[in-house]
Amino acid sequence: MALHQTELRPLGKCVGRKEDPRFIRGKGRYVDDIMLPGMLYMYLVRSPYAHARIKSIDTSAALQAPGVKLVITGEDLEAMNLAWIPTMANDQQMVLATGKVLYQYQEVAAVIAETREQAVDAAQLIDIEYEPLPVVVDPFKALEPDAPILREDREKKSNHVFHWEAGDREATEELFRNAPVVVKKDVRFQRVHPAPLEPCGCIADYNPSTGKLTWYVTSQAPHAHRTVLAMVSGLPEHQIRVISPDVGGGFGNKVPIYPGYVAAVVASLKLGKPVKWIETRTENITSTGFARDYHMTCEIAAEEDGRVLALRVKTIADHGAFDAAADPSKFPAGLFSIVTGSYDFKEALVEVDGVYTNKAPGGVAYRCSFRVTEAAYLIERVMDVLARRVGVDPAELRKRNFIRKEQFPYKSPTGWTYDSGDYEKTLALALEKIGYEELRKEQAEKRARGEFMGIGISTFTEVVGAGPSHTFDIMGIKMFDSAQIRIHPTGKVIARLGVRHQGQGHETTFAQIIAEELGLSTDDVLIEEGDTDNAPYGLGTYASRSTPTAGGAAALCARRIRDKAKKIAAHLLEVGEEDVVWDGVSFSAKGLPGKSVTMKDVAFAAYTNLPEGMEPGLEATYYYDPPNLTFPHGAYIAVVDIDKGTGAVKVRRFLAVDDCGTVINPMIVDGQVHGGLTEGFAIAFMQDIPFDDEGNCLAPNWMDYLVPTALDTPHWETDRTVTPSPHHPIGAKGVGESPNVGSPAAFVNAVVDALAPLGVEHIDMPIFPWKVWQILREHGVTE
Amino acid sequence: MRTYQGDFVIDLPRSSVWAFITDPERVGPCIPDLLKLDVESETRFHAVVRVGVGPVRGKFKLSTELTVTEPEVSAELSIRGGGMGSGVDMKAKLTLSDTENGGTKLDWRCDAAISGPVASLGGRLIDNEAKKITEKMFNNLSKALSSVSEQVAATSEETAEPGLKE
Repeated sequence: MALHQTELRPLGKCVGRKEDPRFIRGKGRYVDDIMLPGMLYMYLVRSPYAHARIKSIDTSAALQAPGVKLVITGEDLEAMNLAWIPTMANDQQMVLATGKVLYQYQEVAAVIAETREQAVDAAQLIDIEYEPLPVVVDPFKALEPDAPILREDREKKSNHVFHWEAGDREATEELFRNAPVVVKKDVRFQRVHPAPLEPCGCIADYNPSTGKLTWYVTSQAPHAHRTVLAMVSGLPEHQIRVISPDVGGGFGNKVPIYPGYVAAVVASLKLGKPVKWIETRTENITSTGFARDYHMTCEIAAEEDGRVLALRVKTIADHGAFDAAADPSKFPAGLFSIVTGSYDFKEALVEVDGVYTNKAPGGVAYRCSFRVTEAAYLIERVMDVLARRVGVDPAELRKRNFIRKEQFPYKSPTGWTYDSGDYEKTLALALEKIGYEELRKEQAEKRARGEFMGIGISTFTEVVGAGPSHTFDIMGIKMFDSAQIRIHPTGKVIARLGVRHQGQGHETTFAQIIAEELGLSTDDVLIEEGDTDNAPYGLGTYASRSTPTAGGAAALCARRIRDKAKKIAAHLLEVGEEDVVWDGVSFSAKGLPGKSVTMKDVAFAAYTNLPEGMEPGLEATYYYDPPNLTFPHGAYIAVVDIDKGTGAVKVRRFLAVDDCGTVINPMIVDGQVHGGLTEGFAIAFMQDIPFDDEGNCLAPNWMDYLVPTALDTPHWETDRTVTPSPHHPIGAKGVGESPNVGSPAAFVNAVVDALAPLGVEHIDMPIFPWKVWQILREHGVTE
Repeated sequence: MRTYQGDFVIDLPRSSVWAFITDPERVGPCIPDLLKLDVESETRFHAVVRVGVGPVRGKFKLSTELTVTEPEVSAELSIRGGGMGSGVDMKAKLTLSDTENGGTKLDWRCDAAISGPVASLGGRLIDNEAKKITEKMFNNLSKALSSVSEQVAATSEETAEPGLKE
């Protein structure tokens, strides 16, 4: 049962979500719900070709069409110096194509009309002559010397974007040379897309009489978007107000600035009217930030008993036509070098090469914690390969290699300092709860009968909460975050934070943190996010950073208020400040039992009855720059049964034991875990965005790109261990992405474990039934 | 790239068939669902056709160019165009040969590159649609040729079965 919102000391309790009444009644307010007087609609004309020169664009017929107010092409933007914009990864990307197109569905022209239908109809009248060019879809072919050069705008005449590495090359090579056991595996993390229920969209509303642009946009990072927009457009930043209303799912898809946003702003500036642009489902999947697309080769050097020595990883990263990955600027491959995971490798070398291809840009999205999904999947997958090679049970192999509790803070061979963890405890709980020994017995019996049952383990380590500003920035902006708390005379609180939730439950969890710190109930605290005119500056919600950063800011901001409140309490209690004691609910005076004041009493006094000389009011702002990242971890176990006739995999059980440090609201953590597991399940079994040789996207809709329904989704079991972060103000670590980071390896490990008697060591995701059926058929198991 | 191919037999001498298939004014009308034909020269013509693949329905504008590779034996048709945000680029190769009883066998092979939403619909829809269009095209062609020969050529109907190959 959820705790009532009116109860005190809410931290760690299942408080009912404050935002749910509006969401579950369909009363959320999303960008497309906003209607402004005189609003116009924009539609984008997109390229059918993946690579083609634009010979001509004829917009004359479209301009004559009913209701059409404006048509914008790349040439028009060129005249405004807006044909290209910087990406978040030190690259640039086209807004509307000039010269040539580089991927299918690339934006070529924008039509603005009185209605959405008129804009769509007029777009069909734009006559564009293309000359198709050779298409490169395979990143390995893109690196061949005779490959066509895709990016003519770059000085470097090559499709190679960057090389990045971490770790000690020589020390790693040395360990590999002398290692008794070396396993090697090519592992692909396929291209997927977060496909949030609400696609991307905005309304640009420029008011010519005030010179102010109000930009309603479905954004995970409204403050950063305001700054980028100011820098790109030349509009003064204080004349831009970004409002991110309710966001219908983000998952990293709503971090970048998309061409449609810039085109809508240009249209509103030109026409002096509000312009709405909402993309379709196909536009969302085919042109906005995709996720993953890593081709990885992993080698582990180990002792005969399976104790690991060194790790070597080489990766080709397919970035598409522009490097628009939303990574911190010093990390072109995100936090991928966390790939040593939960294991005590002595040395490691991680290399990533980014490559351009004729595909849509992106790469960092879908609950990936900046590429930790790829890293965790790889190490957890290949640890199982090692277990098989050395003949050690995968659970036992993990135990032999875990970083021990007493090794924290642990310095990893690629340079991370893990804050805390207790991997053995988490795995022990998971093994006990799932009944591991019995399951292995059952599996042995089934194998003897020729049945295929598998158990898959993943004991991953996450790295979230970017970040300490000395290391982390996006386009130069340091990755701190902020909170501002105002207590009104009656003790009611409005708190605003620099992050922007998209379903994570901030309106409840942050209210719990603040209420806990101030001795109030969550009902007393209203959380507001997403309006840059009134919230303090912050970098936004992604990479599981809200609780580690803004959550820390909220706690410290409340403590700052409590310091002042203590002074007022001393005044009210008529004692010295040093004699005032805070017990979590009220201030009392030492040695004076029965005499106490609550935060509500203090709040009223802050406006009515202050000590002499004290500044009135009770509010504070706190910008929190965390000293380190946080390192949540977990032990996940999947149990699967395979249908011999069809190759269908049934996930019989799935247990997720997470350790995300201090838990603010167990119900919300469970909800986050359920959602992330469902996405991980989809990635493991259903999702892929393939292309044909001409660069046609073959999964541009929900008929070909699958999203699991309630019928597909297994039953999730969850549990937790709690190892608080030693540096976070309340010990919390973040959990939003752990289930997506940790679960794909558990699913794949389970399927491979089931097929191990056939000699199967690896299957690339997604594990469609036909892939399993082919393996069964090759081995004569089925006809 | 997708490849479609087939063959059929016409009860006409090779020279008559050749004269027919290299004449845009006579070949053009054989295009299925033709809305508009505009013959530019002996070797070039433009056509507007109605297309419907799954949920994508509308008009395609196509430009066709004929190249003779070996007179009275083989010719190539390059067809390029598109519409509704989709593009099509086809190369069709036609080869004629004599049959034992004085007729002509027409072998055709078509390589098609399709781009845009139509292509994204995936093979299951496109292959069927392409098969339907090419069947209609060569049915029309063989019918037109039959009437030219002033015979009721039942044989051409039976053999006009375009094969399908990826």
